[in-house]
Amino acid sequence: MILPPITSSGLAQALLFGVVNGCIYILLATGLNLIFGVMKLVNFAHGQLLMVGAFVAYEVTTIAGLNPYVSILVSMGSVALVGIMLEKFAFRKVRGTEKLNEIFISLGLIYVFQNVATLLWVENYNIQIPSPLSGLSFPLGEVLLSYDRTLAIVSVIVILIGLVLLTKKTKIGLAMRATSQKSDAAMLMGININRVYVFTFAVGAALAGAAGALYGIIFNFNPAIGALPTIKAFAIIILGGLGSIPGAVIGGLLYGIAENAAGYLSNGTWQDAVAFALLIIVLVIRPTGLFGEKGE
Amino acid sequence: MDFKAILTTTFKSRKFQFAIAALAFVAVLPLFVRSEYIVGHVFTVMLIFAIYASSWNLLAYSGQGSLGHAAFLGIGGFTSALLAKSVGLPPIVGLFIGGLVSAGIGLLVGLACVRLKAWFLAMVTFGFSVIIVTIFIQFDSVFRGVIGFATLSFVPQVLPFYYGTLAIATSSIVAIFLVMKSKWGLAFKAIRENEQEAKMIGINTAKYRLLAFIISTFFAGLAGGLLAESQLFIQNDIFNAENSFLPLIMAVIGGLGTIEGPIIGSIVIVSIDSFLPLTDKFLQPLNPFFPGVSNVGPPLRMVGLGLFLILVVIFLPKGITSLLHKLYDYLREGETKKVKKNEGN
Repeated sequence: MILPPITSSGLAQALLFGVVNGCIYILLATGLNLIFGVMKLVNFAHGQLLMVGAFVAYEVTTIAGLNPYVSILVSMGSVALVGIMLEKFAFRKVRGTEKLNEIFISLGLIYVFQNVATLLWVENYNIQIPSPLSGLSFPLGEVLLSYDRTLAIVSVIVILIGLVLLTKKTKIGLAMRATSQKSDAAMLMGININRVYVFTFAVGAALAGAAGALYGIIFNFNPAIGALPTIKAFAIIILGGLGSIPGAVIGGLLYGIAENAAGYLSNGTWQDAVAFALLIIVLVIRPTGLFGEKGE
Repeated sequence: MDFKAILTTTFKSRKFQFAIAALAFVAVLPLFVRSEYIVGHVFTVMLIFAIYASSWNLLAYSGQGSLGHAAFLGIGGFTSALLAKSVGLPPIVGLFIGGLVSAGIGLLVGLACVRLKAWFLAMVTFGFSVIIVTIFIQFDSVFRGVIGFATLSFVPQVLPFYYGTLAIATSSIVAIFLVMKSKWGLAFKAIRENEQEAKMIGINTAKYRLLAFIISTFFAGLAGGLLAESQLFIQNDIFNAENSFLPLIMAVIGGLGTIEGPIIGSIVIVSIDSFLPLTDKFLQPLNPFFPGVSNVGPPLRMVGLGLFLILVVIFLPKGITSLLHKLYDYLREGETKKVKKNEGN
C-alpha cells in the first residue's frame, strides 16, 4: 500500500472537512441531547431519522424540483412527523419501565427504518442530492472550500440559533427546560408532560432531518448510513456532556476534526476505530463525559 | 439449605422435569428428521445461538446491555479456528481457549465499562466491535479473515457434531443457570434493579458487574468457536452488527432474564431465518411495487422482525416465555377443576 505524502495543506484540508462533518454531527447530537435532556430517553435509531431526512430531501429536490436548501425545511417537517409517531406509539409505551427497553425499541426501529428504506429506495444506491452549486468552490488560504460545505456550516449555525431561541425565549421552551430539571414538579405546575415530550421528540427528529438533508447534499448516502452517525452523535454527547448545547457544539467540532485528521493520517483505514478508541478512553477516565456534570 | 436438599427440590420441581423432557426430545429429534441440512444448519445453529443468547442474557441480567457481543463471538471463533489451523491444537481444546481469550478481552472491556450507565455501555460495546473489526482487517496477514479460511470441527460433521454441540450447550446453559441462581446471580439482579441501593447494602457492584462480563464473554467466545466449526469456515463477517443484535433480539423475544427465554428465542429466530425464506415465492406478486429490490422477501422479513421486537417489548415484556407460563397455568387450572369436579361427584 502506497500512502500519499502527508502535506500541511492536505492536513489543513482534512481539518476543514472535519469542521463540516462536525457541523452535521452537531445537529444530530443536539437532537439526541435535547431528547435525552428532557425525556431521559436514548433513541439509538436517531441516525435512521437522518437517513430518512436525506431520502425525503432527495425526493423533493429530484421530483418536485425544489432547491436542496429549501428541501431541508421539508425534510425537517416530515421527519418531525415521524418523530411524533415514534414517541406516541413506541417510546411512550415503555416510559418508566427498565432503561434497557428503550434500547430494545430503538433496535427494532433500526430494523424497520433501514429495511423500509431498502424497499422504497434501494434502486437509488449511493446517491447524492443534486445541488446547483456542486463542484464550485473558493480558495481559503491554501485550501479549497466548496460552496455547498460553506452553506452547510451556515445552515447549521442558523438552525442552532433558532434552537437556542426556541428553548430560551418561548413558553414551550420554558416548559421543556422545567421538565428536564424535574418532570414531577413540572407536572404539578400544570405543564402537560406528554405534550412537552412529543414536542421535544419532534424537535429532536427535525434536527436529525436537517442533518440528513445536509448529509445528502455533501455525501453519498444509502439506507444503511444511519448506524455510524448515531454512534458518533453519541460520542459527541459524551465528549460535550449530557444535556448541554454548547458542549455538543464543541464536542461535535472536536470529534469531526479528530476523525478527519485520523482518517487523513492513516489513509482512511483507522478513521472510525480511532474515534471510538478516543471515546472509550475518555469514558474510562471520566464516565460522565469531558464536560458532563454528574448526571443521572 | 445443604446441597442434598437443593438436589431433591430440583429433581422434584416441575421445571426440571420439563427440562429433562425437552432434552430427551432434542436428543432423539435428529433420528426422525433425516435431512442433513436441517440438522446441520438449523438445529445445530439453534443450539449454538442458545448458548450465545444465554450469554448475552446473563449480562443483561446484571443490567448491562451489550450491543457489541459479536466482537466476543468473533474473537472466540477466530482464536479456536486459528489455533486448530496454525498450531495444530485439537479443536475441542481450541474451543475452550477461544472462550478464555474472549473472557480475557471481555475482562478488559468490562473494566472500561464498569462505571458506565446503560446507554454509554451499549455504545462502548458497539464501538469496541467496530475497533475489533478494523484491527482484524489491518492485521489480515495474522487473522486471514478478509477472505476467510476453512476450519476444523472437533467431531465429524452433522450428527456427531450435533450431539457434541448439544452436550456443550446443555452444560453451558446449566452453568449459566447455576450462576443465575447463586449468590452471584442475586447480586447481578440487585445491581440491575438499583445499582445505588445494591452498593448501599454492601454489594461490590464493580466486582459483580465484571464477573457478569467475564462469564458472559466466555460463553460468547465458546459459541463463536462452535459457530465457526459448524460452518467449517470463518470470515470477518462474523463481526457483523447483526450478530451483535441477534442475541439481544432472541433474549428479549424469548423472555429477558429467564433461563428458557434465550433458548426459545433462538429456536424462534433461527426457524424464521431458515424456513421463512421458503415462503418468498408467495411474495413474488409484491415485487412490481418495489422495483428497486429483486426479492422483497429479505427486507420484508427484517421489517417484520423489527416490528415483532417492538411489539414484544411493549405488550409482552416477559417475552414468549410468559405466554407459555400462562398457558401452563391455564392447563393446570383446568386439570385441578376437573379433579375437583370428580371429587364432587
